[in-house]
Amino acid sequence: MSTMEIRKRGEPVLEQTRTAAMAAMAPPVDVYENTQELLLVADLPGVAKDGVRIELEKGLLTIEGRRPTPTVGEQVAGEYRIADFQRVFSVPPGIEATKIDAELSGGVLRVHLPKSEGVKPRRIEVRAS
Amino acid sequence: MLTRFSDFDPTFSLFDELRRRMERVWEDFDEGSTPSLQAATVWPKVNLYDGGASFVLTADVPGLAEKDLQVTLHDGALTIAGERATKAPEGYAVHRQERGSVKFTRSLALPCKVDAENTTASVKDGVLMLTLRKAPEAQPRAIAIRAS
Repeated sequence: MSTMEIRKRGEPVLEQTRTAAMAAMAPPVDVYENTQELLLVADLPGVAKDGVRIELEKGLLTIEGRRPTPTVGEQVAGEYRIADFQRVFSVPPGIEATKIDAELSGGVLRVHLPKSEGVKPRRIEVRAS
Repeated sequence: MLTRFSDFDPTFSLFDELRRRMERVWEDFDEGSTPSLQAATVWPKVNLYDGGASFVLTADVPGLAEKDLQVTLHDGALTIAGERATKAPEGYAVHRQERGSVKFTRSLALPCKVDAENTTASVKDGVLMLTLRKAPEAQPRAIAIRAS
């Protein structure tokens, strides 16, 4: 299986996405693979469980995280922008779309993309004749 | 142009300044393309809010819990230290790794004296939030205007 093609950070998001998403930030992502699945890990600080949306359509996996603006007072210094997260990946064939599973813990999202039986490696036993 | 006050020779300090500015140009140019390098330069990034009676400092620390962070307050300097290791899970091949592993210590000068006893820290959804209560002498105070 080839590696996932991933949109580069800073590259504009797809045209069909909402205009609000234009201001979204691309989170840093790790992509791992074993014989059973592809695993995608993304940093989404400040995003709660109900603020995450994951969608697979036409081979494109979209991850979105809504980040609320803190209401703690007037900002006096800032090193980062509070914005929603969004990133789009093209998913290789051979992924069981219905079995995609995700968990969010401490601002880190993990998306498990299980491989379908056809692409899993298989050992062929040799029979003695 | 600002130069650091510790520079003893203005000629060299100008060279230093030039070098720093050139580095900044590359940083701007790099923005977005090398998140792990960027993350390594300043981590965690912080925001500071003034809530009247207290300052609120937030820092993005995805993947870290309370036990992974040390926060100390000493003489108006706030220090945040910790470590984040992003290793590939056992048995997995790595295709892409943008989430950097960092060991960090950041010291920040606070804008005014704060009451260390009444400082609270919490981590929620990967964001560290520190509430730093301003010292009594730094609290905003309304001055009543007397009619004469």
